Amino acid sequence: MSYVLSLLIALPLVAAPFVYLATRADRRLGIYASLAISLVVMAVAGYVFWQVYAQAPSLAPGTYLLQEKYSWISFSSFGLNYFLGVDGLSSPLLFVSALLTVLVIIGSRRLIDHHEAEYYSLIFLFEGAIMGVFTSLNLILFYIFWEIVLIPMFFFIGVWGGPRRKYAALKFIIFTFAGSTIMLLGFLYFYMGMPSPSFDIPTIQAMLQAHEIPVALEYLPLLASFIGFAVKLPLVPFHTWLPDAHVEAPSPISVLLAGVLLKMGGYGFLRVSIGLFPNASAQYAWVFLALGLFSMFYGAVAALLQKDLKKMIAFTSINHMGFVLFGAYATLISGNLLGIQGAIFQMFTHALAVGSLFMLSGYIQHQAGTREIPLLKGLGTTMPRTAAILVLGSAAAMGLPPFSSFLAEFMVIAAGISASAIAAISVLVPVITAGYFLWMIKKTVLSPAEAGHETHDMGWSDVGAFAVYLVPLVILIIASYLILTPALPVAQFLRGLP
Amino acid sequence: MTDYFTITVALLAGAGLFLPLLQVFRVRNENLAGYVLALILAAAMALIGLFTLYPSTPSWAGSLLTSDQLGGLFALVTVGVTLAVTIVSFDFQKSTSNPVYYSLLAFTALGMVLLAYSKDLLMLFVSWELMSLPTYVLAGFDKKLRSNEASVKYAIIGAMSSAVILYAISLAYGLTGSTQISAVVAGFTSNPSALAGVATLLFVAGFGFKMSIVPFHMWIPDAYEGAPTTISTLLAAATKKAGFIAAIRVLLAITTLYAVTKSPLFTMANVFAVLAVLTMTVGNISALTQKSMTRLLAYSSIAQAGYMLIGFVAFANAPGSTAATLGLTGTVFHVINHAVMKGAAFLAAALVILQLKRADLGAYNGLGKRMPITAFTLAVAFLGLAGVPPLSGFWSKLILVLSVANGPYGWVALAAILNSAFSLGYYAWVIKRMYIDDGESTERVKEPFWFVLVFAILVGLIIGIGIFPQQVINFASNAVAGLG
Repeated sequence: MSYVLSLLIALPLVAAPFVYLATRADRRLGIYASLAISLVVMAVAGYVFWQVYAQAPSLAPGTYLLQEKYSWISFSSFGLNYFLGVDGLSSPLLFVSALLTVLVIIGSRRLIDHHEAEYYSLIFLFEGAIMGVFTSLNLILFYIFWEIVLIPMFFFIGVWGGPRRKYAALKFIIFTFAGSTIMLLGFLYFYMGMPSPSFDIPTIQAMLQAHEIPVALEYLPLLASFIGFAVKLPLVPFHTWLPDAHVEAPSPISVLLAGVLLKMGGYGFLRVSIGLFPNASAQYAWVFLALGLFSMFYGAVAALLQKDLKKMIAFTSINHMGFVLFGAYATLISGNLLGIQGAIFQMFTHALAVGSLFMLSGYIQHQAGTREIPLLKGLGTTMPRTAAILVLGSAAAMGLPPFSSFLAEFMVIAAGISASAIAAISVLVPVITAGYFLWMIKKTVLSPAEAGHETHDMGWSDVGAFAVYLVPLVILIIASYLILTPALPVAQFLRGLP
Repeated sequence: MTDYFTITVALLAGAGLFLPLLQVFRVRNENLAGYVLALILAAAMALIGLFTLYPSTPSWAGSLLTSDQLGGLFALVTVGVTLAVTIVSFDFQKSTSNPVYYSLLAFTALGMVLLAYSKDLLMLFVSWELMSLPTYVLAGFDKKLRSNEASVKYAIIGAMSSAVILYAISLAYGLTGSTQISAVVAGFTSNPSALAGVATLLFVAGFGFKMSIVPFHMWIPDAYEGAPTTISTLLAAATKKAGFIAAIRVLLAITTLYAVTKSPLFTMANVFAVLAVLTMTVGNISALTQKSMTRLLAYSSIAQAGYMLIGFVAFANAPGSTAATLGLTGTVFHVINHAVMKGAAFLAAALVILQLKRADLGAYNGLGKRMPITAFTLAVAFLGLAGVPPLSGFWSKLILVLSVANGPYGWVALAAILNSAFSLGYYAWVIKRMYIDDGESTERVKEPFWFVLVFAILVGLIIGIGIFPQQVINFASNAVAGLG
């Protein structure tokens, strides 16, 4: 049995208290230690990613690699396993989460200036919990990590956030906690209704394939899990916590929110909603498709109306995450595998593209003193390097080649069209997205500078850090097989379930 | 075989009787009585543990006491809470330093131990009174107006609930000719009558006062707020559990209601389900609007009683089924967890009251900097009470909800889940005050040794049981195995 996945979870969790002590003792020591640990975690995640990629072509659909399984609790009829495993759905998310953690630690050294010991140790608590979410193959274990993620995020927003941080933090935790407890109830209902109850995802999927679970049992859990995941994704109309949380959160935390936390919603839809309740999902696939489409349009149109740069990017996230749901259910309807593959790809690219923009908005606020788009003028002349990164990040977010977001959105839309000709209107979404990004660039980068504004451009080291966000996106449009090959068995498996 | 039980009873009774003598002899050490009692309670816990492993009912107990694991579990929990209360009282009651205080605690502990093992209604009633009477005095121990008001209110309600129980017992004896619980239950089942139904409801009401079930909860916030906070801890974490063991022993087996009325609406399961949902909802909604910490804790304690009742619902709905076993295990497990979590929360509040002389929620602003250990204890206890994994409270709530998740009482599960989410509103609110809001000062406040020791043990239990729940669940599930 392999212990890599346990290591992936335990490493950040065990490191957290040491990082706290190190940062208390010496700020630089703490930051360097954090960076070193996060790089090690990223290396482990990279190993996991590579393992999955290397074995994917020969893998039977529905197999999970690097499995670990121990009995945790068992009494009378109740059994619960500590059960981990990965496949082509989770491995890219693991890697991108670890990568973003490194980048967030790099970005935080300028933007976070108080309670640093608590901050860096909470980052690792968050990272460990995220690794747990993406590797758990037991529903209760999944739920436990899912909830642990909330606690650091509550403090991130509440302690290091903007003026309305207290309101935003409470709103965030109550929204997401309510959503996830309902999801848990769905799991429990499902468990009690099974002929031979189990919380293990592979076991349930084997029972599904053998048609041992009555289809009638799937409806309520699907609804319950939908509420839990829709809040996280977030899907309109469950999204209202997101703009508040993003606007108030410090920029590095916005990167984690958009880059990692929202992925939990997309992951949940694929792994649980479709993976465990496939028949009910297939029956109501149209509803989900429509909801995804609506979210895409709503996010794009709402972003169009924002004056705050960060809020605009927040709504972009709603728009982009709508693609994930849209693509996933397009595959269920049409059988076109591009939908699920595109959804997984979209999650990966969105994490990096929007991550870079959120971090950038933090820089801009830090240097220029404002995030209001109408007030930011002449970045092209006053802060040329920042402006260049902003233009490139925007291009990545609007899905312009050579950034791989283009490919991801293209795949999702293609699958949508094969599901229904009406879904072709989704083509308009990237157009709107391009519209507001170009408007923003026109206002901020291409406008003439106002005299008397003292601004400092970012240093070359920061440019290097931002390159780490964007270069993988360029590589991936050529080497898209890195993501798509492991995603293929997942897509085949999920399509074959109902 | 060594008679552990008799030694336990003798030790506790001896402590109760002889500790006041320390005052007569004018012993100088202000905490001596407390130290003695703490040792005796620790010894009592060890003895009860041994008794649970090697049960042998002493001959003097006759048909009054059992020796089952369920009794052992409740005795351990209640004596454990009394021990925690005793230890922090070294600091909390230093100013009064009255040996009588510790003597009364010893009698309460003795009452709770006997109650845990009672299998006869008269024994149950006698130990109920032995447990309750000292707490009436303890609630008024501060000799302040509020404390006295709490004491009087509590005593009147307590006397009333005792009267209700006694009336129910007299009905039961009249109907069945026995005070043995098993005989009464058998008599009620084989020969259901309207009077038996009345007796059952009277039991529900009588025990319900102690269990803090809505609508018998009115006295709780006032009593908890007025009493010395250590005593509120005892009431919330220990004597309330005594109400539960009484209810488990007497009520669970009774299925008379349905037999009398023949109405599918009037089943025991429905009664428990309505009480459970009412209790958790009223408790949580009221807690949200409180300005005082002790009142907030009181209402949260009421809400938690609602969760514990879920196991009763599952049991009454289908005795002997898997769900019933799950539910009762969940109830007993939650009794343990709640005693630990609520004990931690109340004692943290006690320390804040002791050091800052304030009970309002404003005192908690910025507490994370002023009293970091206390704030951390409170935060962990609150997250546990809200059911956030991987803390102990999560598992017991999970098992409770699981027991009714799929079936006719799914709405109870939904109510419990929504209540949990809702309750995080006020728990997170306090955590926000402690760690995110700025306080009036950032000066460190002293956190006395005995409090810190108890906090460390309780937080260790909340997290430890959360990560490794198997052993405690085994204990709980073995304890209820005989009931199914």
